[in-house]
Amino acid sequence: MGSLLEVRGLEVRYGNIEAVRGLSFAVEEGSIVAVIGANGAGKSSTLLALSGLVRASGGSITFRGREIAALRADLIVRAGLAQVPEGRAILAPLSVAENLELGAWTRRDAVATAADLERVYAVFPALADRRSRLAGSLSGGEQQMLAIGRALMASPRLLLLDEPSMGLAPKLVSAIFGTLADIRRTGTTILLVEQNARQALRLADRGLVLSHGSLFKTGPSAELLADPAIVEAFLGKA
Amino acid sequence: MSGARPMARRAASEGPKWPWIAAFLIVAADAYLCACDPRDLDRLLINSMLALSAFATLHVRMLSLASAGFAAVGAYTSAILAAKLGWPVYASIPAAALACGAVAMVIGLPVLRLKDVYLAICTLGFGEVVRVSIILLPGLTGGSTGANLSTGFGYETMKQTRTWALAPTLAVLCYLFWSASKSRTGRALRAIRENPEAAEAMGIDVVAGRNFAFLASALIAGLAGAFYAHSVGSLENGDFRFSRAVDILGYAVLGGSGAWFGPVLGAGFLTALPILIRDGLGSSLGFLKGFAQLPNILSGLALMLVIILAPGGLASAFPRLPERGRPEGRRRQARGPRPEGAAAAPSSAAGPKGKVLLSLKGLGRSFGGVEALADLSFDMEEGVTYGLIGPNGAGKTTLINLVSGFIPPSHGKIEWLGREIQGLGACRAARAGIARTYQDIRLFAEMSVLENVVAGRHIRLRSSLPAAWLRLPSERREEADAREESMDLLDRLGLSGLADREAGKLSYGDRRRVEIARALALEPRLLMLDEPAAGMNERETAALGDFIVDLKRQGVALLMVEHHMDLIMDVCDEIVVLDFGRKIAQGAPAEVARDEAVLEAYLGRD
Repeated sequence: MGSLLEVRGLEVRYGNIEAVRGLSFAVEEGSIVAVIGANGAGKSSTLLALSGLVRASGGSITFRGREIAALRADLIVRAGLAQVPEGRAILAPLSVAENLELGAWTRRDAVATAADLERVYAVFPALADRRSRLAGSLSGGEQQMLAIGRALMASPRLLLLDEPSMGLAPKLVSAIFGTLADIRRTGTTILLVEQNARQALRLADRGLVLSHGSLFKTGPSAELLADPAIVEAFLGKA
Repeated sequence: MSGARPMARRAASEGPKWPWIAAFLIVAADAYLCACDPRDLDRLLINSMLALSAFATLHVRMLSLASAGFAAVGAYTSAILAAKLGWPVYASIPAAALACGAVAMVIGLPVLRLKDVYLAICTLGFGEVVRVSIILLPGLTGGSTGANLSTGFGYETMKQTRTWALAPTLAVLCYLFWSASKSRTGRALRAIRENPEAAEAMGIDVVAGRNFAFLASALIAGLAGAFYAHSVGSLENGDFRFSRAVDILGYAVLGGSGAWFGPVLGAGFLTALPILIRDGLGSSLGFLKGFAQLPNILSGLALMLVIILAPGGLASAFPRLPERGRPEGRRRQARGPRPEGAAAAPSSAAGPKGKVLLSLKGLGRSFGGVEALADLSFDMEEGVTYGLIGPNGAGKTTLINLVSGFIPPSHGKIEWLGREIQGLGACRAARAGIARTYQDIRLFAEMSVLENVVAGRHIRLRSSLPAAWLRLPSERREEADAREESMDLLDRLGLSGLADREAGKLSYGDRRRVEIARALALEPRLLMLDEPAAGMNERETAALGDFIVDLKRQGVALLMVEHHMDLIMDVCDEIVVLDFGRKIAQGAPAEVARDEAVLEAYLGRD
C-alpha cells in the first residue's frame, strides 16, 4: 500500500526483441517522476504497457491497489490513468473543443467534466481562444498543450507524458514544464518520459534511469543530477 | 502452389510453423483436385494468373477491380482473332494481352488519379462497360447468348492447344515477380506502397510506378482471359461479371499483398475450397444436397476465418528473410581504397566551396489566406550549414516543403544552380540533389532498415527491370554494391546493428537516424533536416552534431530546423530566424543569439 503505482518485473517484448526486461519501480501519490535514458532503453514501451496500448509480456502493474496489466486500454483510462502520447497524436480534423471533449469520453459526470473543461482552458488560455479551430491548424506548441489538456479531461490520478518537450521552441519548453508543475499542484501525479533530461529532473521529485530495458539507477532527482556517472552518460555538458 | 516451395526449404526452421502447414495443405489439395479432374488444373492456373494481376495493383496500394474487365477484353479479343479471323492460337494470346495493355493506357489516364475506394468504384464501372459492350456487339461477340467457340468460333481447332503453354506462362510470371521483387524497381514499388510521399523525396516517380503497376495488371489479366477462352471453349458475358472481379480481389487479399507468392496461394486456396467442400458434402452428406448454396456458404466462412487469423494475408504470416548486408566473399578492400565518406559526398566534383547552390527570391506561400511564409530571400552555399529557427508555426517546415518541391510557392522563385525549380515537384527536386527528412518521420515502415537506405539510393542506381529479370551480372553487382554502401552509411550513423530490423519498430531516435541515413543515401548536395535531434538525449544530440560537422566537411550544404539551441549554436555557420512567416534575423550564431528581436520572439530571456 501507499504507492499510487507499483510496477514489478515488467517485461515488454516485440517479437523476439525485448524492449523492457524485468523493470520494477513505484510512483508515490502527488509526485513527479521523470524517466530518462538513451533511445531504445524502453522508456516509451514502459509507458505504453502502463496505459495498456502494448500488452506487457510479464510482470505486474498495480494501480491504486488494483492489477491493471491485463486490463483494456479504455478501462485503464477509466481507472484514472491517462497518457499524453509521443508526437501528440491529436485528432487533426476535429476542433480543439472536440478533441478535449473526447478526452472525457469515459466519464459520465457532466458537471465535473464541464468544470474540468474550464480548468483546462484556464491552464491553457491559448486553447480557449482557439476552441473552434481545427486541431490540425494549431502550431506545434499549441498541439502539445491540446494533447496534455485532452489527457487532463479524463480527470486522471496519474498522468503519463511521453516527451512533451519534443519539437517545441525553447520558450515553450519552459512554459510546458511550468504547466506540469501547476498540474501537480492540483493533485495529479505525473510520470514523465523526457529526452530533455536535465530539465525533466529539475522538475521531478524522483528519477528513473533506464538502460537496455532495465533500471540502471533510481533516486531523488537532485541526487541523480549530481551523480557524475549519470551526468556523463545521459545529461552531457551543462 | 509452385511459388511457395522454394521459400519453404529456405526458412522452414524459423518462425511459426502453421503457414508452412497451410501452404502444404493448399498445394496438396490442389494437386489432388487436378489429379481427379484435369480441367481443374486450368482453372487453378488461370485463377492464379488473375490473382497476380490483382496483386500487381494491390501491391502499390491501388484498389483496382479492373482485372475481370481486362480478362474479358483478353478473352474476347483472343477468341475473335483465333476463331473469326483465323489467327494461330498462340499469336492470338499475346495479341489479346497487348490489346489489354492498350486499353489500360487509355483508361489509366483519367482513372489512376483516383484513390482507394474511388478507384475501386471507377474500375468496377470499367468492368461493367466491358460487359455491356459485349452484349451490345452480338455480331462480334455472340452478344448475350455467348460465344460458343466450337461452332461459330471454330473451337475444335483450339481445344488441343490449351494447356501446355498455360503452366509455363504462369511459371514465367512467377519468376518475373520474384526477380522483380529483389530489384531496384521492386524496391521502388514497395517504397511507393509504404509511403508515397517519402518515395517521391527519394526521386522515385510515384505516378510512373502506379501506371506501370496498372499496365502490368492489365497485361496479366489479358493473358489469363485469353487462356480462359481457349481452355473453356465458350464464352459468356457472365464469366466476367461483378462477382468475378470480387473473387479475383479476394485471391490477392487472402494471399496477401506484401509478397508475390501470396496471391498464388490465395488463388489455390479459394479455387480448391468450394470444390472440395462440394465433393465432400456430395459423397458423405447426400441428404444436404438440397442446400445448393451450402458449399459457397462454407467457403465464405472459411475465407472470413483465414482473414481474421492472418489479417495481412497468408504471405504475411511467413517469416521474412533478411537481406544480406554484406554479401559473403565481398570486402570493401577488394575494390581499392574508398574516398572518405564517399557515400554522402556529391557524385560529381563539388566545385569551389562557397558556390551558391540555392537561391530563394521573394519566396512566399499562403494557405487559405494565411501567409505561412512571406517574401523570404536568402542564398545557400555549398559546404555551409544553415540553422533555421523560430517559434512553432513560424513557417520553417513550409520552407522545407517548398524547396523540396512538395508544395509550389504562391509567389517568388527558387533557383537551384541558377535554374528555376519551383513547381517542378518533389521527384525532380530529389533528382537534382535535394534531400530532406521529416519532422514526423516517414520511413518505409514495413521494410528493413537496410532496405530503407538502399531505397534512398534509387536515383544513383541504373539497373532496369529487364536487367533484373535476366539477372545480369552488372545488375547483381550494382545491388550488392548498393547494399554495401548502405551498410557503410548505417555504420557511420551507428545503426549497422539494426540493419535487418523492421524500420517501423525502432525507437523514435533510431528512426530519426535511419531517416537521415536514407536521405544521405541519395548523395544530396543539399540536405534539409527537420528537427533531427527531436527524441534524442543530450549525448545522442552531441553525436549527431559531430556527424553533421563531418558532412559539412564533405561539401554538403545543410539546412537544419531544430529547437536544441546547443546543437544549432555548435554546428551552424549561419542562422536564419523566422517569425510569423517572415525573416526577422540572419547572421552568425553569436550575432543572432544577441539579437533583440530573436530573444523576444524565440529564445526568451532568462
